[in-house]
Amino acid sequence: MLENYLPILIFIVVGVIVGGAMMAFGFILGPHRPDTAKLSPYECGFEAFEDSRMKFDVRFYLVAILFIIFDLEIAFLFPWAIVLKDIGLFGFSAMMLFLGILVIGFIYEWKKGALQWE
Amino acid sequence: MAFEQIVFYAFSAVLVFSAGVVITVRNPVHAALFLVLCFFSTAGLWLLLRAEFLAIALVLVYVGAVMVLFLFVVMMLDINIAVVRQGFARYLAVGGVVAILLIAVMAMVVGGDYFGLERTPVPEPIGEVSNTRLLGLQLYTDYVYPFEIASVILLVAIIAAIALTLRRRPDSRYQEPGRQVEVRRGDRVRLVSMKSEERR
Amino acid sequence: MNFETPDFLPVVPELFVLGMACLILVVDLFLSDRSRVVTYLMSQATLVGALVVTLGLSSPIAQVTMNGTFVLDPMATLLKSVVYIASFVAFLYAKDYLRARSLFKGEFFLLGLFAVLGMMVLISAHSMLTVYLGLELMSLSLYAMVALQRNSATASEAAMKYFILGAMASAMLLYGMSMLYGATGTLDLGELGARVQGAGPSSLVLVFGLVFLIVGIAFKLGAVPFHMWVPDVYHGAPTAVTLFVSSAPKLAAFAMLMRLLVDGLPGLHGHWQDMLILLAVLSVALGNVLAIAQANIKRLLAYSGISHVGFLLMGVLAGTPEGYAAGMYYAIAYVIMTLGGFGMVILMSRAGFEADRLEDYKGLNERSPWFALMMLILMFSMAGVPPFLGFWAKLAVLEAVVSIDLIWVAVVAVVFSVIGAFYYLRVVKYMYFDKPEDEHSLVAGSDLRFLLSANGLAVLGLGIFPGSLLALCASAIG
Repeated sequence: MLENYLPILIFIVVGVIVGGAMMAFGFILGPHRPDTAKLSPYECGFEAFEDSRMKFDVRFYLVAILFIIFDLEIAFLFPWAIVLKDIGLFGFSAMMLFLGILVIGFIYEWKKGALQWE
Repeated sequence: MAFEQIVFYAFSAVLVFSAGVVITVRNPVHAALFLVLCFFSTAGLWLLLRAEFLAIALVLVYVGAVMVLFLFVVMMLDINIAVVRQGFARYLAVGGVVAILLIAVMAMVVGGDYFGLERTPVPEPIGEVSNTRLLGLQLYTDYVYPFEIASVILLVAIIAAIALTLRRRPDSRYQEPGRQVEVRRGDRVRLVSMKSEERR
Repeated sequence: MNFETPDFLPVVPELFVLGMACLILVVDLFLSDRSRVVTYLMSQATLVGALVVTLGLSSPIAQVTMNGTFVLDPMATLLKSVVYIASFVAFLYAKDYLRARSLFKGEFFLLGLFAVLGMMVLISAHSMLTVYLGLELMSLSLYAMVALQRNSATASEAAMKYFILGAMASAMLLYGMSMLYGATGTLDLGELGARVQGAGPSSLVLVFGLVFLIVGIAFKLGAVPFHMWVPDVYHGAPTAVTLFVSSAPKLAAFAMLMRLLVDGLPGLHGHWQDMLILLAVLSVALGNVLAIAQANIKRLLAYSGISHVGFLLMGVLAGTPEGYAAGMYYAIAYVIMTLGGFGMVILMSRAGFEADRLEDYKGLNERSPWFALMMLILMFSMAGVPPFLGFWAKLAVLEAVVSIDLIWVAVVAVVFSVIGAFYYLRVVKYMYFDKPEDEHSLVAGSDLRFLLSANGLAVLGLGIFPGSLLALCASAIG
């Protein structure tokens, strides 16, 4: 069974080598003549106004957490889809209840306006 | 088998290295990115154990979604690392003792004596049966009760996240595409019939 | 595919609460703030309905269903019924408090109902998987309830502490469960008990697994040395939430203790007895001593709660049916008393005034002799003065400890509860012998006044006739 994943492994290895080699070559072969002007932070020709680590709006977090929840729901769908024929009506209704509960959550977030970007 | 072992050690080395970097590196964004690497190598290890579904779920859920959240949180918090590190020396003693105790427990328990190959032998291969399939056969029938509770926990997470973070801002301006599309000519243009002015 | 459709009948209460909670969630979305009371009434109706269903399904024999993940036995029936009643009382006390602070939102009741559902799952758990899931469902809802007052810095801080320490305790619990699963190869608690019996009590991995389980349980109960979160959370959360957090979840934590240790690991009784003795003695000692120094009544009740948990553990550690019954009796008695105690704090508060300092209780007798009397009953009961409920609960627990020849534990408990009587009596002294600082009349609604009076009288009545509740607990343990 693991042979099926060999291409992925080769892909990862090649990816790491190519990515690493490019950075390494650039680092080794490229000219290094740093000075203060080159190393200073730079923003469209101006001095940087503030630290780049600024506060994000909390709504990004809300979107991300809602995304995780529905992502998890998808993860549960895969094994279910494979065995749907074997688990019969019981397994089908089990998933429908699962989805139904999350649909109620979806209705909640929709109606509350959590999906709306003001 | 030798090749599989090489792959195992390669993934394990990356895993241990990146896990170490996660807790030592100064920049929290870098720590989060190394955590991604950690999850990837764990997924690789799971694949070697033939736990395909777990490996894919780890990439899908943790790398795909949880890490996005982590990065948002790290960026949102605006952490001042100097402040975080202030208490380090003070808590080092207590933290060190706890860490040593935990390591000792692990060393005593998670070893060959209790979980070695003699205790838990490699299960007999049962032919080409997909692991995801077997999981599915159990999860939606035998474990249907825990499965439904999991969905309720997700529902509570939705409610809690919205109740704790969503706030209306009456002053912010935004577009409502629905209303934009619904606009009719009559809402925008008014035809006024006027008498033409007399020419002088 | 050989799969039998499980028997759904014993799970009907859970399904009922879940269905109603989902219904209320949707209905609440379409309500205006003015008609929010509908959410409240529906939540209360759900609890009453669940009580009826649960009592209707009660049977003297344990029924295991859902492929061994769920059990319905007399203990589950009794504990669930008390959880519904305690939540009903807590919601009713909370209503006016929340309204005065513009916290009267559907989310409070919804999260409360989901927490109740989590407690039900935990109480009826027959597998480590359902123990964990029930615990998480309950805890997640409680964390969110503590944080519900978003513009309050103390509430956010309390929620943060609760969440982080709670997550750590869950991790410990999971770690312990994973060891037990690794050593025995089963999640089912009945099966686990049998296999542990077979492996013998000396297996190192089982003992370490047990240690981590007990850390997790002790945290949820708030036993010393895992009590750090209790005073901060009780103090920081809005009183209505504190009331809820301090009452019904203690019953669920007690059920978790019983399920994991008594159902799951009876073979390791010798080991967990020692650990529980340590937790119990430390909790009784530290809780009572630290409570003396408190000037805030919510913190005082938190430390008193820690000492009560110590007594509760004493019942369980005895390892006899009488001991378990005494522990359960103590848990129920504590819930009744803590509901009354925090109910009094809510009664005294009004918009913009929390009534959480001890000084706020000065001269209560002049302002309202009736409620001063209720507070007197509650304080005496918590201190363990006969003939109130708390006295009989303490007596039952001490009897259980003495019966297994742990007399020194009983002596320590008595000594520290005598020390503890000091701070309860100080509240009484403030109420009866000091001049009131605050001349406002009490503004609570008549339903709160009525139920709080009933709460106080229940402490008195169950104290005068102690036999019935204790007999109920004894028959539930079976």
